[in-house]
Amino acid sequence: MTNRARNIRITAAASVAVVVGMTGLVAVSEPLYRLFCKVTGYGGTPRMAEKASGATGEAMFTVRFDANVARGLSWGFRAAEPQMSVRVGEETLAYYEAKNTSDLPLVGTATFNVQPDRAAPYFNKIQCFCFTEQVLAPGETVRMPVTFFVDPEITKDVHARDIGTITLSYTFFKSDDQSKARVAQSEFKPESKTYSN
Amino acid sequence: MAEAHAHAHGHDHGAHAHHPTGWRRWAYSTNHKDIGTMYIVLAFVASLVGVAFSMMLRAELAYPGMQLIHDQQFYNVLVTAHGLIMVFFVVMPSLIGGFGNWFVPLMIGTPDMAFPRMNNISFWLTLVGLCLVATSTLVGTGAGTGWTVYPPLSNAVFHPGMAVDFAILSLHVAGAASILGAINFITTIFNMRAPGMTFHRMPLFVWAILVTAFLLLLALPVLAGALTMLLTDRNFGTSFFAPQGGGDPIFWQHLFWFFGHPEVYIMIIPAFGIISQVVSTFSKKPVFGYLGMAYAMVAIGFIGFVVWAHHMFTVGFNVETRAYFVIAHFHYVLSVAAVFAIFTGMYYWLPKMCGRMYDERLGQWQFWITFVGVNVLFFPQHFLGLAGMPRRIADYPDAYAGWNLVSSVGAAITLVGTLLFIYLLYRTLTAGERAPANPWGEGATTLEWTVESPAPFHTHEILPNITTQPAE
Amino acid sequence: MTKSRWILFCLVLVGTATFGLDALAASTGAPVPWQMYFRDAATPVMQDIVDFHNLILWIEVAIVLLVLGLMLWIIVKFNAKANPVPTRTTHNTALEIAWTVVPVLILLVIAVPSMKLLFFMDKAKNPAMTLKVVSHQWYWSYEYPDHDGFTFDSNLVPEDQLKPGQLRLLEVDNRVVLPADTEIRLVLTSDDVIHNWAVPSFGVKMDTVPGRLNEAWVKIDSKNIGTYYGQCSELCGVNHAFMPIAVDVVSKQDFQAWVEQARKKFAKADEPLKVVDAGTR
Ligand code: HEM
Ligand SMILES: [Cu+2]
Ligand SMILES: [Cu+2]
Repeated sequence: MTNRARNIRITAAASVAVVVGMTGLVAVSEPLYRLFCKVTGYGGTPRMAEKASGATGEAMFTVRFDANVARGLSWGFRAAEPQMSVRVGEETLAYYEAKNTSDLPLVGTATFNVQPDRAAPYFNKIQCFCFTEQVLAPGETVRMPVTFFVDPEITKDVHARDIGTITLSYTFFKSDDQSKARVAQSEFKPESKTYSN
Repeated sequence: MAEAHAHAHGHDHGAHAHHPTGWRRWAYSTNHKDIGTMYIVLAFVASLVGVAFSMMLRAELAYPGMQLIHDQQFYNVLVTAHGLIMVFFVVMPSLIGGFGNWFVPLMIGTPDMAFPRMNNISFWLTLVGLCLVATSTLVGTGAGTGWTVYPPLSNAVFHPGMAVDFAILSLHVAGAASILGAINFITTIFNMRAPGMTFHRMPLFVWAILVTAFLLLLALPVLAGALTMLLTDRNFGTSFFAPQGGGDPIFWQHLFWFFGHPEVYIMIIPAFGIISQVVSTFSKKPVFGYLGMAYAMVAIGFIGFVVWAHHMFTVGFNVETRAYFVIAHFHYVLSVAAVFAIFTGMYYWLPKMCGRMYDERLGQWQFWITFVGVNVLFFPQHFLGLAGMPRRIADYPDAYAGWNLVSSVGAAITLVGTLLFIYLLYRTLTAGERAPANPWGEGATTLEWTVESPAPFHTHEILPNITTQPAE
Repeated sequence: MTKSRWILFCLVLVGTATFGLDALAASTGAPVPWQMYFRDAATPVMQDIVDFHNLILWIEVAIVLLVLGLMLWIIVKFNAKANPVPTRTTHNTALEIAWTVVPVLILLVIAVPSMKLLFFMDKAKNPAMTLKVVSHQWYWSYEYPDHDGFTFDSNLVPEDQLKPGQLRLLEVDNRVVLPADTEIRLVLTSDDVIHNWAVPSFGVKMDTVPGRLNEAWVKIDSKNIGTYYGQCSELCGVNHAFMPIAVDVVSKQDFQAWVEQARKKFAKADEPLKVVDAGTR
């Protein structure tokens, strides 16, 4: 009987351990999911790189730049050029432009992804404005740079090498945290400037 | 399966005269049969609500235009509540909490569950969950998110007010109850089988509950975690699923379906178990390929989790999803298969649970009416889905009117069948013939048929000894 | 349970055949009364979906007939009267292996074309133009980035404003117009919650997700010139049922003419940047 009581305790403890383990797994699922997206390009998540690898290839790609502003943020936002032709492996600089059309300073944060999904693991961003929050004074217009390159490895992927056009998309949201806007209100003069961060 | 050389009448009622009576018997119950009964009553009450909601939906959809429900948000609230109630408070409590509690201990030959007090807590938590989901339909404009609760629609911007919070809490509480129940079943089945009741002699229903318990153990913490994140997104400014804070609404979908895929198996595997018992009983022979069946259920449970991965890769690609085709499909799985298994279980075990026989003729009528009803109800929805009718709409383009009317007529027929079942229950309880210990004859070889009907408060106090091989 | 479903299906099929096959052969981009099957495919993707569906359908019919046959056999030959003493056979290794392996094979047969289909759906070869679709609570807006980026909103025509012949809950004030014989890239996103841009005849049913761009493609043969309807297919709040999609597919020339006129009609006053309606949260 005591033997059974011990076994019961062991089984119950093991079950609880499974529950705790699964709970632990969800608890860290958010960073895990991010990591997974980053590593595999899942869901169109582009890579981040320090600089282009240096090797360039023959293949040419059209890169389109898509811009969106979510409801609630009174900004205008668009790509300076709607599309570019780039050589694979070559580091390319493109600009987006944003304008605060309201009479209040506003903080925006951008999300981004690449389409088609299959191209994402080969799309490397070196520098981009989405890394930080952007504060725009009333009426202010900024130019924001994106530096990127398309990894030559893409031409070796049977599922990706037929891609002719890659779209890079940004969406600006109004940040939940607008405290930087209040600071900015005292500092900014409404004038045009170019960001480089 | 296994034949018992036990003598159920061997125990002494007098020795247990101290068991509580009146409301205390139920409120403080630690008795697996009483708790099983309470689960069945809970599922019954919840089904009245869930079916009533679905009848309102079908009534609205009978004709194009908005007739009964003038507010699409209210329609969405009904769809959501119907889905949540049917899944969490009808199918799961009846199959697992109800039949599982009643018959797992009886079938494996043990006096009760491993943790009788925890069993009591599971039940009352489930009831709290039911009350919370009912509350959610009543506060503010209700939770019109669908049972999948996808953000951003379910976040504080698009669903302000407390309704969604109540729905989330409801699932939390029901989920906690199910996790406790799962631990209880696993511990019981692993450790409390009567001498000789090896795993390979266990009735398939017990196998089914065991597999289900494991699925619950793995799936529900993920749902709970996801719901917690949604709750903090809504109330405490986190942004797990909110893009403006760097979150991702798709992340919710992955977490939800990590739970959602196994959930389908959680609802259907116990149904397989019941059908296996019934087929074996009435064909008067052990189930053919018993071991294959047992391990098939294990494999299905396992695959249930793997299927989730396929979902990862089809987000946004799958053409038939979200069409009415889906409604048709899962109602065939859930409503027709699981609910018919619940009816089957009720017919099969009613004599054991209440000590009375049901009226066979009424039962036959109930089967055929309901059977025709659900097919008329759900089959035309395949056509609607293929033709392109979306889900969760209170009004539809006029071309869809024909099959929608047919479907609603089917709902009415189903309702008649369901009401007939309620009448049959009433008749059985008040005027049914006394049932013998084993009303089903030589085919009924599992241990619950060795104890008298209704099963006495205490059973298997003297452990039965199982000696027969199941499948030779 | 599936057996019953198929008996009924056959009955209904026979029934339909007797009162004419119109219902099965819907030949427009809109649903028709008593329709029982897909709308006609207008794109290669939809054609593949229909073919794939048919493959699965026949496999299913075969399985259902087999199971039904076995059941009937059991019911007739082995009922308590015909066979009072049931056999105690509970094993047949060969049989058990067979019924495990065969379904796995069938699943493989289904899996291969299904993967192919997924890749095909995902693969636009070289689209000649792009249409951008943005969902809002509760209307769609469309943008033509390759045609100077003019943009317009497309709203449901309310019931009391319908003209004769217009379809209730499907007609919109501004239809989106696409050229035939042209490979078109669709890029889709959302302004608020998740919606879904679904046009059954195109085989497109794509979630629009805030903060994320999705992509799909269509190519409509000029023999399929006409109007195609769809509806929002992801629950998006109160007016989810009331944000339809209507697409006019026209010849390339007609498309050019339409673009000229639409550019003027939807032109915004001199604007260095598209000003986005702020709305309120
Ligand atoms: C009496 C029989 C039933 C009827 C008449 C019925 C009817 C309906 C209707 C009309 C909808 C909404 C379809 C839509 O507009 O999208 C629905 C959704 C649903 N039903 Fe049932 N149903 C029945 C039984 C069941 C059962 C037994 C279950 C068991 C799990 C169930 C689970 C669901 C779920 C999960 C949904 C989806 C909810 C959502 O879209 O969020 N139903 N049902
Ligand atoms: Cu919508
Ligand atoms: Cu919608």
